[in-house]
Amino acid sequence: MNTVSTIAALAALALAGSAFAQAPAGDAGRGRQKVQMCQGCHGIEGWRTAFPEVYHVPRIAGQHPSYFVKALQAYKSGERTHPSMRGIAATLSDQDMADLAAYYAAPATATAGK
Amino acid sequence: MKTTTTMLALVALAALATPAAARDAAAGAAKAKEVCAACHGMDGNSQVPDYPKIGGQYEDYLAKALRDYKSGARKNAIMAGFAGALTKQDIANLAAHYAAQPRVVSARY
Repeated sequence: MNTVSTIAALAALALAGSAFAQAPAGDAGRGRQKVQMCQGCHGIEGWRTAFPEVYHVPRIAGQHPSYFVKALQAYKSGERTHPSMRGIAATLSDQDMADLAAYYAAPATATAGK
Repeated sequence: MKTTTTMLALVALAALATPAAARDAAAGAAKAKEVCAACHGMDGNSQVPDYPKIGGQYEDYLAKALRDYKSGARKNAIMAGFAGALTKQDIANLAAHYAAQPRVVSARY
């Protein structure tokens, strides 16, 4: 019984480890192809939300990629609840998130969508 | 009865329309040094990849984030602790401080 538990625990650890190992590397060039859905709100200086509460849509360019991915994952999982962001994040794969994070993290090298 | 209801509704509306607390960026800076700077930096240019950069973020968005952490609408174990200890005035002051820092996040593209 103990052995079974240990094996199960080790398997879980191995799975967790491989999940981390497989976190996709972001590609800013690919990210550039995927920003259409972001730009309508985040690409307009001074733009405000309309629903459910009115405030400025946050500035996201220059943000740390790992935080950027965490935010998108939190919207996808429902942990963060903004309706539009939940809808959009739900359509993103881990690779999409990494690519978008890479694109938005690098203002110096980003040239598209000026 | 009807009048009471109407009056209550008006009071509620007035409360909603009350402008945010007047803010004091200098007091925000003092609070930031005490509470936020260890992770986010005094200027909001966090050097830790897991902690967001907040320098130059919109003031109303910063205040909303803090309110949501405080209320539990946004869940983060670390931020719940810090934001939970802030008053409305602290939140207004901190948002003013970080929004006034050189911009490390942008809406440019």
